[in-house]
Amino acid sequence: MRRVFSGTSRVPDRKQNLPQLYRFCFLMLGDSSKAQEVFHTTLREAANRAAQGELPKERFWLFRDALWRCLEADKADLQPEALKLDEHDVAPQGASQIEQLEPTQLAVWISGAPDPQRTALALFYLDEFDYNEILDLAELKLSELSRFLAQGRRQLQAWLDAKHPEQGTV
Amino acid sequence: MRMLRLLRRQRALLNCAPISQDRLADRSMRAAVSRADDSDEFVNQQSFDRAVAALVRLIPIPPETAEWFSEKDLVVGSKWTWKKMARNPAVLAISIAVMVIAGVSVFQVLSRLNDFPGSATARKLLTVAASTRPVMLDPVSTEAGTLSDLFFMKHGLEHYDVPTEFADFRTIGCRVFEDEESRRIAQIWLAEKRMQLFLFPAERNAKTGAVLPFPGWRYIHQEGWVGAVSEHSGVCFMAALRGPEKDLEPYLSKATGK
Repeated sequence: MRRVFSGTSRVPDRKQNLPQLYRFCFLMLGDSSKAQEVFHTTLREAANRAAQGELPKERFWLFRDALWRCLEADKADLQPEALKLDEHDVAPQGASQIEQLEPTQLAVWISGAPDPQRTALALFYLDEFDYNEILDLAELKLSELSRFLAQGRRQLQAWLDAKHPEQGTV
Repeated sequence: MRMLRLLRRQRALLNCAPISQDRLADRSMRAAVSRADDSDEFVNQQSFDRAVAALVRLIPIPPETAEWFSEKDLVVGSKWTWKKMARNPAVLAISIAVMVIAGVSVFQVLSRLNDFPGSATARKLLTVAASTRPVMLDPVSTEAGTLSDLFFMKHGLEHYDVPTEFADFRTIGCRVFEDEESRRIAQIWLAEKRMQLFLFPAERNAKTGAVLPFPGWRYIHQEGWVGAVSEHSGVCFMAALRGPEKDLEPYLSKATGK
């Protein structure tokens, strides 16, 4: 059952990059055990379909499947309240502020964003897809994706400024 | 208004600008990025995005999750191999059918390769030879070569001559009969290896009526019988016996030797 899929696919049009698929689940859920559960379920289901010769021909089907499972997994959980988060312009020192973060902190922050902003941020920062592919996967319009990313950057900058006030712009 | 929409679209594209340069596949995106390349705001955005993406790449993969990754290709199930293809029942069935058809075709082509004018009649006569019993023939004990006169005088069959290769063999019996196309066939039974000789009209061109000649001896086979056929003066001669071709060869090579 295991070792059915590749680490990094050599099939450029499919981009079934499995480490990135796990990271995507982690960014969406902010929890390693939940991310593993979704990742394993997705791949087990895909392996069953492969055994029956029923693998979808559409691009990024693994990511689409995992995205759907992440959204489903969250439905049962308590949803965060819709808060108006602070927003700051992206600052020149933003990059160095990010470098001081742990990957888990970033994942928790992204997973706390409301959908579909969470999906947009997770797909974008995977650096695995171009914007057209993200629009297709997240089923968004360009203006929506643009808004979610711009807002996400500003909110993340504000959070970083709050976390490291000595470097912040406020 | 149009300018405003254009600027808004460019702004939207810049917000979605790719982190890696190799994802700049889209022309409109390339144009938007090249226009904004020098702006501080965009430079900040890019370095911010790159830092976030670098942090994402640092997300550790748990060992049990890494087990799913192999160093080989995408999905074994989707990999196309000759071996897998050959095991497909449909492909297997088609292959067998094609092989059978090819076998039959090759057999037919090979059997047709040995065809010559009159071969169809010769084959029928081999079947006759297999079913003939000595009592069905008039008993005649003489040299086969002398029967030409008998066929000519008694039955009016011209050029029904036994070739010199077989002329000296003793006969047991002979007869003249008509086949289903009313052609007159002379049949001689020899004492030598219970060989049978047949003389029958050579095949003719349906339009011109000219004899279709062929040079030398031709072998044909039918149900364990072998026949050696030659044509001379519009009459075909066939020596037939039960057995392989090599049993007939000595008689013919003897003739060649002469």
